[in-house]
Parts: sequence; structure tokens; C-alpha cells
Amino acid sequence: MNDSLNKNNLTLIFVIVYSKMASKILKYSKKCGISGGTIFYGTGTIPNNKILGLLGFDEVNKEIVLMLGEKEVAYHTLEMLNVKFKLYKPNHGIAFALPVSQILGSNLFSEERRENKVEKPKYNLVFTIVDRGNAERVIDAAVLAGSKGGTIINARGSGIHETSKLFNMEISPEKEVVLIVCDSLKTDQITKKIYEELEIEKPGNGIIFVQDVDKAYGLYNNTEL
Amino acid sequence: MNALKRKFLEVLYSVLPITFIVLILNFTYLSLDFSVIIRFLLASVMVVIGLSLFLIGVDIGVSVLGNKVGETITKTNKISIILIVGLIFGFIISIAEPGLVIFTNQTASVTDNQISSSTLLIVASLGIGIFLMIAFIRIIYNIPLYILLFIFYSIIFMLGIFSNPELLVIAFDASGATTGVLAVPFILALAFGISRMKKDSKASEKDSFGTIAIVSVGAVISVLILGLFNKNQNLTPAISELPILETRIFYPFFVQFNSIAKQSILAILPIFAIYLLFQFLIFKLSKRAFVKIFKGFIYSFVGLLIFLLAVNAGFMDIGRLIGYFLAHNDYQVIVVIVGFTLGIVTILAEPAVHVLTHQIENVTTGYISKSSVLVALSLGVGIAVGLSVMRLFNPAIKIWYILLIGYLIALGLMFIVPKIFVGIAFDAGGVATGPLTATFILAYVIGVANGTESSNVILDSFGMISLVALTPIITLQLLGLVFKIKAKKGGL
Repeated sequence: MNDSLNKNNLTLIFVIVYSKMASKILKYSKKCGISGGTIFYGTGTIPNNKILGLLGFDEVNKEIVLMLGEKEVAYHTLEMLNVKFKLYKPNHGIAFALPVSQILGSNLFSEERRENKVEKPKYNLVFTIVDRGNAERVIDAAVLAGSKGGTIINARGSGIHETSKLFNMEISPEKEVVLIVCDSLKTDQITKKIYEELEIEKPGNGIIFVQDVDKAYGLYNNTEL
Repeated sequence: MNALKRKFLEVLYSVLPITFIVLILNFTYLSLDFSVIIRFLLASVMVVIGLSLFLIGVDIGVSVLGNKVGETITKTNKISIILIVGLIFGFIISIAEPGLVIFTNQTASVTDNQISSSTLLIVASLGIGIFLMIAFIRIIYNIPLYILLFIFYSIIFMLGIFSNPELLVIAFDASGATTGVLAVPFILALAFGISRMKKDSKASEKDSFGTIAIVSVGAVISVLILGLFNKNQNLTPAISELPILETRIFYPFFVQFNSIAKQSILAILPIFAIYLLFQFLIFKLSKRAFVKIFKGFIYSFVGLLIFLLAVNAGFMDIGRLIGYFLAHNDYQVIVVIVGFTLGIVTILAEPAVHVLTHQIENVTTGYISKSSVLVALSLGVGIAVGLSVMRLFNPAIKIWYILLIGYLIALGLMFIVPKIFVGIAFDAGGVATGPLTATFILAYVIGVANGTESSNVILDSFGMISLVALTPIITLQLLGLVFKIKAKKGGL
């Protein structure tokens, strides 16, 4: 990690586990101080098992949990998750943390920017998490502000405003995660446009956060690294 | 843990309840012949193995194919191609559907062959083809499901006025029989493949469901129209005898093998033919992808074979014996309670139910969880079986009274529940009436009818399937209502 990061730095936690585990992870993490999270589905592979591969059972369903927290809380949560869900054992899932450089739309963390950065990265990855059905508006706004497009992932999630129970099962509302990789010069105008269009300032309308990307390929007007 | 083990455990938990209930009954109210119990236990193990294989096969075979076909025909951007594909698929899937074949034979014998079974089969299949076409149009042109269903059920009510009540019940039973174990995953995947091409993700989610519902309605309407042309509708009930008790444990499995094998081949063949056709003409998948889907088909086939064999050879006679014994000894209240309980546990082991709940979780990314859908579905089917048994003791309650009131409630609820639940609920109605319900539960009801003097075995047991198709529509929509109330954002 970079020493120049200030103490309140925000961290994004990724947890990848077998399906049905994500809700438990999120519930436990909330006990550790995380305010909410977003879950989406993925597919994983089982390597090095020739018999299963031959039979055609080489794919497993996974769930991916995204959670934001202050660095201290996030690291604490990771440690707790590691112990509680035995992530140190093989095939119990993986968890990792990534720094976040900017956040909008969460009243728990004041809007902040990472300062004192020696070298500004060339690209940013903008995460926008909104209610199901709003992702298209996010992309439209981003395109207006100069983005080339975006990727939508269906997800479910729960924040502090949205937890209700049904026969002891938690209902987590449907969300969409929009991933946009953009030139770091355009990041501000893109996030600002999304922020305005989606009225992110109102609680419960969504959250935007930005991560630094060191290298990016495939952005077609930037052929060099 | 790998996919195989997880699926196996999931299936095990859904088959255990039904096994336990039967064992408990055996040691409390009735003591069945030792050979019957051993055969039932053997069949339970086979159901677990068969169902696991079948579901894994569907995951990597039929569902993948359905998604791909749906996407491919949508990408052509030609409405004519989508319509032709809908018509042809609907027709060939249902004309080979074992459930429908058995159903038409039964109907032909009940109606004294006034409607020949082949005519009925062709008409019903054609109806399903046309309605699958309509279902595709609905997804593409964003026609709200509840409006379509409202129109279709109005047509049914109108036709119902001119039909006699028995035919009406038979027609509703047809809707349950058409949506077979393999047709359900294929149609669901097709609908998902088409609707996920949509830009609007809310609409695409909603439109993934409802196709099975429209197809089921198609079967009802076509049977009713056919009935209009056969004015002479004196339905003569056939007489059904209690089967002779078979004490050899393995013998029934061998006897049934040929016909079950034929059924399984017939069920999988049309979809497999579609697969080969698309692979060589359009997809041209890589060898690896081709082989994987092919393996899926093999698993589905073997799984289906084992499952159907177990259910027909091991579950059917025990269901009938339980029903007969309880009714014969005048345990009326217990007959109803047992019926309710059997309904609740049986639906958990129904193959298409697993496919539907899996699809619901996938499409909504876990927002509508599998367990909540199962609770509503189980309750619905339990109520349906309880009602059908209760009706056997009170012949004055006509099945069409219940159907009329039930469908009025179901249609009314459509206007207030979240729209995605309308599709899920009406789909679940078609899905609930799978091979296990059609054998085990039907056998139980027939057993009860056999043991009750006042009842007319075939006609009375016919209505059970229509009720099982109806009640989940109501309970799942009620679940939707609960979601609507509960899922409001708090603290804003």
C-alpha cells in the first residue's frame, strides 16, 4: 500500500465464495462494522480435476460480495471473515481488499479524495451501484459526459436503509452494478454527470466510487498503455 | 465441494421429507406390506440419483441450448423467423410430451372415444405452438402479461359457458399435462434468451416469466374449442380397480422399464433434434462446447429414466394404498390432513420446480429466494390436494365452482401484485403439475376415491390436477404482495 494514503482511506472488499454463502458473509460483515454490500453471481472453474472435467462438471456457481468500508474496519472485517468462514482452507473462497480513491453518494463517508498522490494514474474504474432498472440511465449519463460505454452486472444488495425480513429471511433489494473504465481526466465529469442525473445525493438512490487503474487495454481511442 | 455433490445434497433434502412422511404413516395408521415399503425406499434412493442427474444435465444442456436458441432467433431481428420457430417448437415439444400423450389417451377413454386421442393430441399441440408464438410476440413487443392473461381467461370463461363442466375440468387438467419436465426448462430458457436481449433490465427480468403460463392457457383453450365441435358430450366414466398387490420387490421396475424408456426418449428427442439442427445449420459451436451440451443431454436422459422408473414403479402403488386404506377406514379428517401434507412434501421433489426456482434466483440475482418461492408453492399444492380429497366426501362441491372462484381471485390479484410475481405465479401453476404429482398424488386421490363409495373414481380424480395448477397461482401472488409491502425502503 502507498504510505501517502491518509488514515480514513476507503477500501473496497471483494469476497468470492460458493453460492448461498454471500448472504451470510454480508450479515457477518455488518456485525463487524460494514454498512452494506452488493452481491452478484459468477461462475467459477474447478481446475486440475480430470475426472470432473471429463464428466462436464467443471463449472461451479459463485457469489461475489462487494463491500465498502474505512480501511481499519475493512481490514478488521477481512480478518474476521478469514477466521469465521475458514478462508485460509482450500476451496473456502477468497477475499481481498482494494483501495478506493473517491466516493459519492454515501452519507456515511464524507466525500473525499485521495491527496498527495505522487503519480496520477492514467485510468479510473468507476463503480456505480443503483436500483435495478437504473443502470441504463447511468450509462446514458456517462456517455454524455464522454465515456465510451459501460458494463452492467445484475446484483442484489442491502444498505442501512433497506433491510426487511420475510419469515426470518432477509429481503435484499435488486441492484445493478455499472462498471465504467475511463481516462482519469474524464473521471470527474463522468461521476458528476451520473451524480446529477441519478440524484445520488438523496439517500438510497445509489453510490458511486472510483478506483485507480494502472493499466488498461482495449479502450479504442487510446492505443498506447 | 463440486457441482455434483451440491446438487446431490440439494435434491436429497427435497426428497427426504416425502420419504419420512410415508414412513411415519406406515408406522402409525397403516402397516403396509414389507415388500411395498422396501420398494418405496429403493425408489426414493433412485429418485435422488435420477433427479440430481437430470437437474445437472438441464443446467449444462437444455438450459444452455434454450438460452442460445432464444438469443439467436432474436438477433435475426425478423419477426417471421421468431414466429415460425415458436410455432414449430411448441408443436413438436408437446406432441412428444409423455404427460400429454397419456392424458389424451385417458381423455379418449373417458369420453368413449368421441374425441379420438390422436385428434386431441394434434389439436392440443397445435394450440401450444400458436400460444408459444403469442408468448414470443408478447416478450418482443412488451405486451404486459396480465393483460394477455386477462383476455385469455375471459375467453376460457366464455367457452366454459358453452361446454359441459366435465370437459372444462379435463381442459384445465390438459394445461397441467402439457408442461412436462423437459419442456419447462427449455421454454424457460428460450424466454430468458429472448428477453435478456432487451435493453431495459426491469422489463427483461419481468418477461423471463409468463411464457409457461401462456402455453398452459393455450392447451386449455384448444381442448375447449375442440369440445365445441363434439356436441354429444355424454362422458361415460371408466371404472378403475385397485391394483393387485405386487409383493416382488424388483419386479415392477423391470415390467415398467420398456414403457418408461420409451417415454424418456420421446421427451428428450424433439429438443435433441432442435439441438442438432441448430448446431449444424446456425451455431457451429466449438467441439468442446458441443460435447458439453451433449453430455448435458445424456445426463438429463439417464436421470429422467431413473426418476420416472422410480416414481412409476415405487411411488404409485404406495400412494394408492395409503389413500385407499385411510378412506376405507373412515379416517376422513386424517385423509384430508395427509393429503395436505403429501401435497406440501411432494412438490419439493418435483423436477421442474427445481428448474423454475433456480431460474427465479438467477434472474433476480437472489432477490426472490428459492426458499420463499418453495414455501408459497408447497402451501398452495398442499391446499389443492387437501381440497380435492375433501371434495371426494362431499360430491355436492363441484370442481368447477372452486376453479371459477379460484381463477377470479387469481386474476384479481394480478392487478395489485408486483408484475414479476404475476409471471412467476402463473408459470408455477403449470410447473407444479409434474410427473411426481401426476403419479404419486393422483394415485393417492384415486386410492381415496376407491375407498369412498360415493365417488366416481375417474371423474373425481381428474379435477385434482386442475386444482394443483390453480392454487400456486394464488399463493405465489400473495407472496408477491408480502414482498411489495415488506420491500419498501425504510428510513427515507
